[in-house]
Amino acid sequence: MKFQTRRMYMKKIEAIIKPFKLDDVKEALTDIGIQGMTVSEVKGYGRQKGHKEIYRGAEYVVDFIPKIKIEIVVDTSRVEEVAAKICEAANTGKIGDGKIFVLSVDQAIRVRTGETGSDAI
Amino acid sequence: MTNHDIHHPAARLEAVRNTLLAEFTHMPADEFMRRHSRLFDAYFRQCCDEDRVRAVLDIHRNPYAVAALGGYGRREQNVHSDVDVLLLFDAAVPRRAETLVQEIIYPLWDIGIDVGHATRSLTQCLTMAWQRMDLVIPLLDARFVSGDPALFSRLMEIFHKRLLGERRREILAWLAETNARRHLRFGDSSYRLEPNLKEGLGGLRDYHTMLWIGKIKLGLQQARDFEYAGHLSHDEYRLFRRALVFIWDVRNRLHRRCGRKCDQLYFQSQINVARSMDFRPLGGRKPVERFLAHLHAQMDFIKQQHFMFLQQYDPRGKKTARRARRTRFDEIVVAADALRFDVAESIMKHPALLMHIFGESARLKIPLHPEAKRIIREFGHLMKTPLIADPAVVKAFEAVLKEPAPTFNVLREMLNTGFLQRLVPEFREIVHRIQYNAYHIYPVDKHVLRTVQTLKKLGTAISPVSCPLANGLWKNLKQRRQLLWAALLHDIGKGFPSASHAATGADITRTVLKRFHYPEKDIDLIAFLVRNHLMLIKTATRRDIHEEETAIHCARRIKNRQRLNMLYLLTIADSLSTGPKAWNEWTAALLRDLFLKVANIMQHGELVSHRAVRHTENKKKAVLNAAATAAEKKRVGAILPLLSPRYLISTDAPDITTDIDLYHQLGTGSFVWKITRDTATGTRTVKICARDQPGLFAKIAGTFTLNHLNILSAQIFTWRNNIALDIFDVHPPPDVIFEKEKWETARRHLAAALDGALDLGAALRNKMPSPARIKPIASKNPHRIVVDNHSSSFFSIVEVFTYDFPGVLFSITSALFEAGLDIWVAKISTRIDQVVDVFYVRDFDGQKMDDEKSAAALQAAILARLPDIE
Repeated sequence: MKFQTRRMYMKKIEAIIKPFKLDDVKEALTDIGIQGMTVSEVKGYGRQKGHKEIYRGAEYVVDFIPKIKIEIVVDTSRVEEVAAKICEAANTGKIGDGKIFVLSVDQAIRVRTGETGSDAI
Repeated sequence: MTNHDIHHPAARLEAVRNTLLAEFTHMPADEFMRRHSRLFDAYFRQCCDEDRVRAVLDIHRNPYAVAALGGYGRREQNVHSDVDVLLLFDAAVPRRAETLVQEIIYPLWDIGIDVGHATRSLTQCLTMAWQRMDLVIPLLDARFVSGDPALFSRLMEIFHKRLLGERRREILAWLAETNARRHLRFGDSSYRLEPNLKEGLGGLRDYHTMLWIGKIKLGLQQARDFEYAGHLSHDEYRLFRRALVFIWDVRNRLHRRCGRKCDQLYFQSQINVARSMDFRPLGGRKPVERFLAHLHAQMDFIKQQHFMFLQQYDPRGKKTARRARRTRFDEIVVAADALRFDVAESIMKHPALLMHIFGESARLKIPLHPEAKRIIREFGHLMKTPLIADPAVVKAFEAVLKEPAPTFNVLREMLNTGFLQRLVPEFREIVHRIQYNAYHIYPVDKHVLRTVQTLKKLGTAISPVSCPLANGLWKNLKQRRQLLWAALLHDIGKGFPSASHAATGADITRTVLKRFHYPEKDIDLIAFLVRNHLMLIKTATRRDIHEEETAIHCARRIKNRQRLNMLYLLTIADSLSTGPKAWNEWTAALLRDLFLKVANIMQHGELVSHRAVRHTENKKKAVLNAAATAAEKKRVGAILPLLSPRYLISTDAPDITTDIDLYHQLGTGSFVWKITRDTATGTRTVKICARDQPGLFAKIAGTFTLNHLNILSAQIFTWRNNIALDIFDVHPPPDVIFEKEKWETARRHLAAALDGALDLGAALRNKMPSPARIKPIASKNPHRIVVDNHSSSFFSIVEVFTYDFPGVLFSITSALFEAGLDIWVAKISTRIDQVVDVFYVRDFDGQKMDDEKSAAALQAAILARLPDIE
């Protein structure tokens, strides 16, 4: 298999969202024809800091807040549309709604067939 | 043999074997395996008879025998299992034996058959088996196929006399150890979603092991002897055989489908195998679910027979003679470290003994004797109403339910003997019920038993969770009995197709517990837990738990701390017992956070008390009824869900109606207000409906002060649509003649302040400077500012105790605004000259002000704005 450095025509979109927004986001992306995504359960903090809860005098610290990470690779031409859809679906207007990162992808290969590039995503 | 040697026996074998494989699904699996084995027998006989073999090796000069080993020896040759043969020679293996192998074995490889062969002399065979235990076992299943029968007989004779005779104990010990290791490694196939048909618990190897032990210890010759020699009853052997035939059938189809030896029933094969075995959808269950349920039931039966057999004929043959212990019942005795019925007839007279033997088993930690289990299985039908409601029976069952984990799982024995299903007939519907997905890895019956077991492990050294919270809650729980009932019944609804298994389960729970004459109060509690066993986990993963309403909603449905604790524990045990995908640190963190928030809401009960909830509901109805037209009702109905619980609790229905009106007048403006006159006190009430913005409260307070409107009390609420509703009680303007004009000036000031045109701080400094010192009338306590971060999970609560002076509210609220805090709820009251202000605040990002440094800074900032006390 040859790896060529080509013009970058694929992007990876990584979105961190609130857990209960996953279904909304998935639905919104399905609506615009996104067929696949990778989802992971992650923990972390940003501007939304952890917090502590007091229960019967004992302190329970939540320093990393549970979030969902979605990863999608799309054609560069679709990045804006997809990012906008995620923003719209994941928005609650409150802190901790999450972030979206867009990264360049050099190559994609479908393992079964060996197809590459846009054909593989 | 070359490929075109069509006269070699292998060519014939291949042809007839292909014919047999083409139709194997049309006959019982054991019939097929017998025929399959016979084909190989015929092949080896033909080979030995063929002239070419005779030419290579003269049987009279070099006597030899071909013996079948393993599955082939037992005539249980599956489609792609190895064909194990022994080429046995008399004194020594002649050099020409290699040619024999080439003639007999290689052709089989050529037609794609996996042959395992050993070429050994009689002495080699025995010496090697003497040294290596794993070589003893295949000889147990050895069967003469062709060659010199006398030679084979001699091998068997010496094998039985010398090896089995002299090393019996060692062989049995090795077998027991290998067996235990295998179970550990392959796990329990009787509920695995991808069971191993051969090696797993309940797999074929369990049957083999029984057979081997039987052959070594009891002198059995074949499987049939289990029944003939009385080790299994007629019925048991029939069911045992039926289970084996089914598993063999599955295995053959799996081999055929994979085109190779494969004993793990992977997902991708299951649907096809189920279809090929003619399983059809029934009662909302998929064919593959019914297939797996049936397979599990068969493997479960094998597993139980296996364990009963081991218990009865412990291969290690040890009998630890524990001192005989008495039981509480004359009819139940301890013999050979197991509980059994003294005389089986006593059961007919006292069927309750069927339950009591389990109770004693739990109490004494002594297992049931296989014979006792057999009796329970066969006489279980005696356990029916009204006997199952007998208080002594119920009590004995609860003792079993509560018996501490993990030493001994009597509940599982009750399930295995079918007795639990007699006691709770509804349980039958969930036995071996599969949910075909990667999430639920256990059948429903196994899952609920695991849930019970998981609960009982909490707070012990083997607790599955490290969080001290859950362990502590269980340890301090007073209603363990009720929670264990809920754990046992929480998924009972899955046996009865419906939209919600939890709701159905709650109804069934009531029926079951009523049959036991349970107190109504306990029934309510247990049915509640069953009905809501998914509430917390669903809320934690599908709702915004950082929203106060979410916690309030849960708190209102759960109502009290005891029920919350129990629901939380049930949720953890349920998730842990479902499978690895249902529980991890991530889910645990979400669930715990929700639990703590709900607990907190309950602790500061004003929002969730029964009265509060009832009042709120009544008010909503009244407000809706007050709407005159249908269109109006619709408009009001749309706003109602947006009102915050705190607002609804402290506002009367007619006021809510006017507030909603006010909101509708707001339109796109920044605020509207409505001034009413309190005829009794002469004060004015100003209701302001505004779009929320940081510092809103300070701006309103400042405007009033600027216009010499003295604030007596105030309340502010924030609705969920970011609308602030602020209610101020103020003294009317000093000059009542021009009141209207005065209010109009104030309105203009507020509008200017809100859009930034008017700097209230500057205006107030110029027009009415704050006093540097004040002189309290009665007490002389210093100002007090308390920042409370414990009472609410969602807000920091700031309480300010001070004395009245012009602009006091503006000073405090400006300090809050400058500290970057938003006021969500406020209660301002003035009594003579004493001011008590309570603010529920969050920072502009919506978070509490958790750290002590910011809290101290805020206290200092507010204090700096208050005048000295004289």
